[in-house]
Amino acid sequence: MKKVYFLLAALAGLVLLANTSRNTTGPAAGKFGMTVGTPEIKSISGLAFGPEGVLLVGDSKSATVFAIDTKDAANAQAQPVEIKNVDQKIAALLGTEAANISIQDMAVNPVSKNIYCAVQSGDGTPVLLKISGDKIEPVNTKNVPFSSLALNNAPAEDAKDKRGNSVRVAAISDIGFADGKVLVSGLSGQEFASTFRSIPFPFSNKQDQSTLEIYHAAHGKYETLAPIRTFTTAEIKGKKYIVASYTCTPLVLFPLDELKPGSHVKGRTVAEMGSGNSPIDMVTVSKGGESFLMMSNSARPVFKVKYKSIEAYQGALTTPVEESFATAGVDFVSLPVTNVIQMDKLDDSRMILLQRRSNGSLDLWTSSERYL
Amino acid sequence: MSGLAFFVCLVSCNRSSENARIEIRWKEERARSIIIPAALIGNVPDDSTSASIMVSLAGKPMPVPIFGSYNREGDDLEFSPLIPFTPGMRYHVYVRGQRAGDFEIPENKTGNALSVTAIYPSADTLPENLLKIYLHFDHPMREGLSNRYVKLIKNRRDTVEAAFLDLQPELWNPDRTILTLWLDPGRIKRDLQPNKRLGAPMQQGTHYEVWVSEAWTDTRGKALEKPFRKAFVTTEKDSLSPTPASWTLGPPAAATRQPLEISFKESMDHSLLQEVFSVQGKSGVKISGQWQTGDHEKQVAFIPTDSWKAGSYQILIETRLEDLAGNNLLRPFDRDITKKAEAASGEIGVLRFNIK
Repeated sequence: MKKVYFLLAALAGLVLLANTSRNTTGPAAGKFGMTVGTPEIKSISGLAFGPEGVLLVGDSKSATVFAIDTKDAANAQAQPVEIKNVDQKIAALLGTEAANISIQDMAVNPVSKNIYCAVQSGDGTPVLLKISGDKIEPVNTKNVPFSSLALNNAPAEDAKDKRGNSVRVAAISDIGFADGKVLVSGLSGQEFASTFRSIPFPFSNKQDQSTLEIYHAAHGKYETLAPIRTFTTAEIKGKKYIVASYTCTPLVLFPLDELKPGSHVKGRTVAEMGSGNSPIDMVTVSKGGESFLMMSNSARPVFKVKYKSIEAYQGALTTPVEESFATAGVDFVSLPVTNVIQMDKLDDSRMILLQRRSNGSLDLWTSSERYL
Repeated sequence: MSGLAFFVCLVSCNRSSENARIEIRWKEERARSIIIPAALIGNVPDDSTSASIMVSLAGKPMPVPIFGSYNREGDDLEFSPLIPFTPGMRYHVYVRGQRAGDFEIPENKTGNALSVTAIYPSADTLPENLLKIYLHFDHPMREGLSNRYVKLIKNRRDTVEAAFLDLQPELWNPDRTILTLWLDPGRIKRDLQPNKRLGAPMQQGTHYEVWVSEAWTDTRGKALEKPFRKAFVTTEKDSLSPTPASWTLGPPAAATRQPLEISFKESMDHSLLQEVFSVQGKSGVKISGQWQTGDHEKQVAFIPTDSWKAGSYQILIETRLEDLAGNNLLRPFDRDITKKAEAASGEIGVLRFNIK
């Protein structure tokens, strides 16, 4: 219906006022329902790419997802990137010292292979940068086509739902894009809970978001709410899954097609990956027909898990995790790469990594296939 | 929002006349831009400002231009960097490759000092499986540093390693003045690997202290006046959901604005207490008023905007209300699913009272 409406509007040469995305005001909505303007981005805690160079920005401070058309959509071969002391280089370009900035997230544009990097200065100002080869430049966010979607709706006055009100997002812990949907995990600053939303893109006025409540079952005995920290999507035996890691590092799978509005999904733990640690980023890469889950951690090396092992573990996913599995879970390998602060997929078999080296230098580099 | 503009410093290497000084413009205690006077720039056409003029950090062997934008202000030029200039740092201005002027951003000596205004829970006896701590500051804080600047100290001696979950992004309120810290939930949850390997972060009958370093700065770059300490002693684990049926109500009298008091017998989550209650009259009309927490979050009081009328009322409680250990009205933090008794049932989110 919407497409027909668009076509009619275009044919009639009418000005189509802001009806496709929640925050579009002013001139005609264009591609992906975007309008030209300046998104009021207050913080950048997560970056991901949607279709055709659309950059998705997770803004924790305003609990909003922005979609910005970067127009950076020319196909390019991935070139390995290596920038030593990248934080110092970025700091100099921002007129400050490295201690006064933090790199919040990095995402590779899957079309152009350029790296987009979110930086925050000590005073909270968010900055969006683009890295191509060894060139670092600011990304213009003034007068660009964009749309946005606020995550926190006004709470219902009389919430009679036995499960209480929906969780109000204080921090967007991760953002992704799969199957035409923007996937957002958010943590609450109040309840011990998270939301995982699947929002159709382009954003529409229709509220057909799915919100999942995810439980973490330990050994069929204890069950707790488990806020998602980071996630990726993967296909296992022809079925699409969300692979999520929780705030206390268990690795959990749930099928993408279970993302239905109002559903309550119990995630099944396939591995517990250590203590005193928080997962940072997960990506899926492949080599020679075999795919791997790579996971960077706050206090552990980068883990590599074969999807084959996860497949083999499928049978157990429908039943509570047994004690023996809970200890071992799916096998994973620790790579000799520690202190990886950010990680994203560059192409099928390579990743970009932001790593704090043992000499203190913060380096951006490209992994080779030998890690797979 | 009041934009302050004043001359803070003047350093010019080859000109020192009044009209050649670089003005620093401040807004909200941040150095947001500089005005480069016409006398320094000479005749630079508008379309070539970024090619002819460069502002860079001083003391760099290979100066690079700082990202920012230029705007004409009469004959002068305003340069606004992408992020504010940093107090204590020096900068150079180059015009057509020649160093034309320098400036330094002074330390921020204006504004109030930074302090921790509150910590919740406020009681000094807390369950060993305490889940959350809220730190309140009187100014928006610099993010991402809590792991470095907040410690849990046991028996006045030992820092408890990895007591708080290292979350990036951290859980701040939109103003960046209230931070939520989670005591590592993986270590609190029974039977998870972190719990088995490292044990729970706290044990009962022990003295602990939350310590906040004075090195932590706010978004203005101001540090805390002094370290902040909050001492408490732990009691036994709390694994039970709060039960509103066991709470006591202190109903007010009709034709007064006396507070309606609800006492829980245990401390509740401070942040949720502000939000989860509502009072309705008989016809379901919401009664407007203010909620106040008291007695170390063991009590809330509702003060109506208008005087109470005689009749029956109900208090609606959102089931997401948690106690200090993350047990909410519906389910304990870690539910033993082999025990049916732990599951809540019935009308748990409503309390009724009458006013005569």
